[in-house]
Amino acid sequence: MRTIVKPTSLAEAREALLDSAGPVAVVGAGTAASWAGHLGPVETELSTTGLRGVVTHNPGDMTVAVRAGTPLRELQEELAPHGQHVAFDAARVAEGATVGGLVATADAGPSALVHGSLRDLVIGTTTLLSDGAVVRSGGHVIKNVAGFDVSKLLHGSYGTLGVLCEVVLRLHPVPGAVGTVAVACDLPEAARLAREVLSSQLEPTAVEWLSSGRLLVRIDSTAEALPARLERLTALIGGRIVDDRDLRPDSDDSDGSSVTGGDHWSEHAALTRGTAGEAVLRIGAKPSLLPGLLGRLPVGTVTAGLGTGVATVSLPVGEVAAAHTTVHAAGGTSVLRTRPVTGPDVPAWGPPPSALAVLRAVKQQFDPHSRLGPGRFDPWEIS
Amino acid sequence: MALDSIARAAITATLAPDEVVDDPVRTRAYECDGLTGYRVRPEIVLIPRDAAGVARAVAACHRNGVPFVARGAGTGLSGGALPVADGVVISLARLRSIREVDVENRRAVVDPGVTNLEITAAVARHRLYYAPDPSSQQVCTIGGNVAENSGGAHCLKYGFTTNHVYSCEVVLPDGTLVTLGGDTGEQQGPDLRGVFLGSEGTLGITVSVTVKLLRTPETVRTLLADFPSIAVAGEVVSDIVAAGIVPAAVEMMDTLAIEAAEEAVHAGYTVGTPAALVVELDGPIEQCDSEFARVEAICDAHGCTRLHIAGSPEERARIWKGRKAAFAAVGRISPDYFVQDGVVPRTRLAEVLQRIADMGSEAGLRVANVFHAGDGNLHPLVLYSAAKGETERAEQLSGAIAELCVELGGSLSGEHGIGTDKACSMPKQFGEEDLAVMGRVREAFDPTGICNPGKVLPTPRLCGERPGRYRAHPLEEAGVIERL
Repeated sequence: MRTIVKPTSLAEAREALLDSAGPVAVVGAGTAASWAGHLGPVETELSTTGLRGVVTHNPGDMTVAVRAGTPLRELQEELAPHGQHVAFDAARVAEGATVGGLVATADAGPSALVHGSLRDLVIGTTTLLSDGAVVRSGGHVIKNVAGFDVSKLLHGSYGTLGVLCEVVLRLHPVPGAVGTVAVACDLPEAARLAREVLSSQLEPTAVEWLSSGRLLVRIDSTAEALPARLERLTALIGGRIVDDRDLRPDSDDSDGSSVTGGDHWSEHAALTRGTAGEAVLRIGAKPSLLPGLLGRLPVGTVTAGLGTGVATVSLPVGEVAAAHTTVHAAGGTSVLRTRPVTGPDVPAWGPPPSALAVLRAVKQQFDPHSRLGPGRFDPWEIS
Repeated sequence: MALDSIARAAITATLAPDEVVDDPVRTRAYECDGLTGYRVRPEIVLIPRDAAGVARAVAACHRNGVPFVARGAGTGLSGGALPVADGVVISLARLRSIREVDVENRRAVVDPGVTNLEITAAVARHRLYYAPDPSSQQVCTIGGNVAENSGGAHCLKYGFTTNHVYSCEVVLPDGTLVTLGGDTGEQQGPDLRGVFLGSEGTLGITVSVTVKLLRTPETVRTLLADFPSIAVAGEVVSDIVAAGIVPAAVEMMDTLAIEAAEEAVHAGYTVGTPAALVVELDGPIEQCDSEFARVEAICDAHGCTRLHIAGSPEERARIWKGRKAAFAAVGRISPDYFVQDGVVPRTRLAEVLQRIADMGSEAGLRVANVFHAGDGNLHPLVLYSAAKGETERAEQLSGAIAELCVELGGSLSGEHGIGTDKACSMPKQFGEEDLAVMGRVREAFDPTGICNPGKVLPTPRLCGERPGRYRAHPLEEAGVIERL
């Protein structure tokens, strides 16, 4: 029997953990429930979706404190009238993924090329541990080196180390305008063009190849400078301008659509979800190695960040184990995202990192009775 | 209690004789870092010539239960590299190679003893650079930057060391060598690299760092503007931010700091102006120009009394020289001073500066202000004369300012670190439970507590002691580094 609890405050969450024994799943909006290791049996499901809403938004400081169960999409809507946003564009945001869930799964979108992932945007967290301890780290200022940055440990922890209750984020201004150039090409040609763009001083925000046969390059800019910047971009790599929007509040183009809107980037987001019946693997490798690596894998759909070295691919379930091996042989990393079936044939992770002993020690310190997120790091046996 | 001879022999046997320093005269050179008020002479200083030597030395310390402290260039300002009595200092000074420059993937693999500026120097011909730029960048090492999560004047736009390191090879406190992080931003589980960065040498020793390199911006525009008050200059910064502009740097100086800097380096600042702002923008030409025009208009709208735009790279360098010289220059107008590194939310700058001024008057001491206005990182300089018996008052004022920053919703330290200096103030910013969980992080990496003990987290032994007064670092006196 699985008990579902949905606390609406840190105190309630703490009580729920202390009142229960046995394994616990920490669950946000459920948009990444099938990612990483398959969740083992749990007695309690702790939903964070009751921990919702902005705690404080300081527009002048460009920081926001938000309860971790708040969908990022909702937060972005609230920030938009101030001309601010969290500079983060993972596909799952549109599906209602929560801030805490996005942190816990270390997700990121195309603009990670410039803005990094949430690890680079989170400036403070409040986290509840399974033994009831509450740790606040960081704070409300963007520059801060006081104390250990516990927030980082929660990034990519998949609900195994603690329950994120509150997150403080650094905000960025919504750019005055955004434009995208698309070039029809195959992956090797896209890689060549990406090298051109990245060795130029045009400062693209995202450089992604889509398996539908196109390279997309996005420029975030002031409205005044965008036309010239897009023109220089097309002069360099060809292609055509497929998106050119003035996002300033008084402009006609500004219809409340987000920076990352537009059909082309929607297609990108759709491709990251893979193909029905196939597994989805998230791969990271040095950008120069990525095209060759993808060429050696039996991939279906692909989005490939040619500046970040991060690709999301679909492939047959039976090929997952071999794909992990291939990626790791190239010095890369890989993690399973979508699993159409579960079982030993679909390992979530490749070979463990060299610091496995430290991971285990951190797990032991933070979750001494191994209650949180059983199985999420299998087959590594973190706990 | 001295280090016992068996442990000493076991540790020194892991290295060649020329990698070991144990005569008391030479070990004295390692007794402090940039926070010279604290001094402890180490028993032994080890200077391994490679990473394997570091690992062997650490393993031997671990087996013998001997505490060790890693040391880079010793420029840290919070006593993070203060030796432990009866312990070992492991200097990374001989690990000085740039192992690899990977232009296509815009990264470099460097030894920890390479200086911050040497990285940029090595890659500049490829039009690449390493972004974090602490003021001591000519001498401070990347290993130390990793330990401190160093910032610099340009971190408002570009972030800190943590945003520019892909991975570190780390000798853990038991001597095992692991890699934290990877070739991309993708993670294999919790971000151990992230928690290691900025842990001030308490979780292990970095022996190799893979740093991210950025393409140099197409253009850089810098202006120096004077304003009738600090409050007005603060409003200008707010308006720049509200206009959706993220400048590469926004620095502010008050009249006292300007006076000192001008006296020292004649960089062209206006002596007597109540406040000056340095604003720098960079990026593609069209972008930079459109934003720069807006910044100029904002300055004008706020009654800017003088606006000077750097017309050449040399002029820009001169403006920065004035800004960076301010710390050391304060020595010209005061025999002694304390420096603080607190952070406040940027919108509370005017308030915190007024309160600092009031607190200064009350204490009968002058306070000069130089700070990163864009991110609210203050560097108040409390001026005093030890000869006149003002030390204790100045010390109290300095501590009160750091704690005021916390009270206003900020932090004890923006970039200098907690180290030995501010460990005892940590309970002002964090609760007992927060600190206890941070202790668990340390326990996970260093269960026997031998890796830079007594730093960052308060201990009863440490906090029974009184902080020392600020004394200029030898490198600072020589004009090699500035304090920022």
